[in-house]
Amino acid sequence: MKITTKRALRKWVLILAVTLISIIYIYPVYLMFMNSVKPFGEIVSDAIALPTTLAWDNYTYVIKKIKYVKLFTNNVIITCTGIVGIVAFSSIAAYIMDRRKNRFTSIAHLIVITPMLIPFQTIMITLLKAMNVIHLSGSRFGLGVQYWGFGIPMATFIFFNFMKTIPKEIDESAIIDGASTFRTFISIIFPLLKSVTVTVIVLDVMWIWNDFLLPLLMVNSSNKTKTLVLAAYTFIGQMNTKWHYAMTAMVLAVVPSIIIFIFLQKYIVDGVVAGAVKG
Amino acid sequence: MSQKQKRLLKEYAENFLYIIPAILLVTVMIYIPFVMSGYYSLTEWNGISKAPKFVGFSNFQTLFSSKGEFMNSLWFTTKYTFGFTLFSNVLALALAVALTKKFKLANFFRGIFFIPYIMSMTIVGFIWQFIFTQGFSKLADITGWGFWNFSFLGDPKLAFYSVVFVGIWQQLGFYIVLYIAGLQAVPADVLEAATVDGATGWQRFSKVTLPLLGPSFTTCIFMSLTNALKVFDIILALTKGGPGGSTYSVTLQIYKDAFTNNRYGMGSAESIVYFLFVLIVTQAVLKLFSTKEVDL
Repeated sequence: MKITTKRALRKWVLILAVTLISIIYIYPVYLMFMNSVKPFGEIVSDAIALPTTLAWDNYTYVIKKIKYVKLFTNNVIITCTGIVGIVAFSSIAAYIMDRRKNRFTSIAHLIVITPMLIPFQTIMITLLKAMNVIHLSGSRFGLGVQYWGFGIPMATFIFFNFMKTIPKEIDESAIIDGASTFRTFISIIFPLLKSVTVTVIVLDVMWIWNDFLLPLLMVNSSNKTKTLVLAAYTFIGQMNTKWHYAMTAMVLAVVPSIIIFIFLQKYIVDGVVAGAVKG
Repeated sequence: MSQKQKRLLKEYAENFLYIIPAILLVTVMIYIPFVMSGYYSLTEWNGISKAPKFVGFSNFQTLFSSKGEFMNSLWFTTKYTFGFTLFSNVLALALAVALTKKFKLANFFRGIFFIPYIMSMTIVGFIWQFIFTQGFSKLADITGWGFWNFSFLGDPKLAFYSVVFVGIWQQLGFYIVLYIAGLQAVPADVLEAATVDGATGWQRFSKVTLPLLGPSFTTCIFMSLTNALKVFDIILALTKGGPGGSTYSVTLQIYKDAFTNNRYGMGSAESIVYFLFVLIVTQAVLKLFSTKEVDL
């Protein structure tokens, strides 16, 4: 055989193998979607076969039972509160830390980024106690505020590293024109941070939207404040062997992320890569 | 006051004003609870009684002296971290190499592998619980292979592998895209030069590409290490630490001791040991790998 045909053959074998692996890889997700529209009897008798009738009432039942719309709103409120605070406080702090280097800002920088070394589980017990004292537990907004504290170290680190790439002459000329520090930051610097802001938002939305442990500690006691994943966790626990409802709840919990991913795939993947390389 | 002093004072006030919210927030959410954990680790406290009883280092002595649950969970976490880090990096690199070959669906497949990563880990645990029980029993019927009938979540040995497997399944896509980014950064002219010099495909990969992937290795291994050390959601949904406590990670153990057993003092002591454990492991591995990186 010629070398070129051999090489082409090898490539096709490789592509075939990758295709096969991808299909097997995503098969569990497909099974979840497919079983969520099956009646109970069909799941138990055959989890792999296609449904003979589409049981959409699984969805109407679960959506009503777990109050899906309410949960979805809770998730949006918590995530938005978290993101706005993280981006606002970290970006301006990183700006000052980079442009006004002195002893105070250097120590501040160290204080703010060091918590990246402390795993959440180390402080979760006493955090709950502390949050009870200052009344940030048991409310959606309070949970959002807590994410500020946990999100700021990494976000500041990323913003700070990026700040160095923006030439100082840009803000100096704005200040000579008479703009205040805040004004310079908002109208000149912040727009230049766009790419890195997207990175921070992608990382933090994925984290806060799907987070489990912190919401479990803080907002699990009332149905009014629960997040999507928490409610799904409790519901699936109760549904023990009622797989048709459990499957539907799983789909409802992950489908918002999947839809967003399909539309924003490029931003999400790029953001995640940038975050890992910089963080 | 001179003009200059005034300006300087204003500048300091501004610095303070813009940085203090960040400092205040991390202090309240992280430093204060951290210091409190340190204090409670020296006490016996059930979370209800008003005053925790000071007991010195006896919590730590209990943790290390007896062959108790905590040492088991520490051992489980070590094994899990090793298995997870090793296999997720090997598999991700292999798939990344395949997916950087030029073919039409490469981008689409990249997206496929990434989907579990954007899903909640809790839900991922539940999906696999369903597959290990309902799905596999059906596969056993179809294929007639005894393999599918193994008790993947019921047998302590197998449960360990199942948990590692599901953990990798959820995160593999993340490491794949990181390795792809690294592979695409390897300059094409260097690879061409190697080809001109008569290097075979394997030689090109092992002698040129791999050494230049150094930064990607460091990033991926560091990320997989920290993620594995924190494993919690997947285990809670998949096995709840069972069977017979064989899949208790340190994080789950801390959670159980504090919030189920109401042993807050002991839980705090465990969390302090866990903090030191994570710090030492990550710093040691980071040091090991960053000294091995090669520059072009």
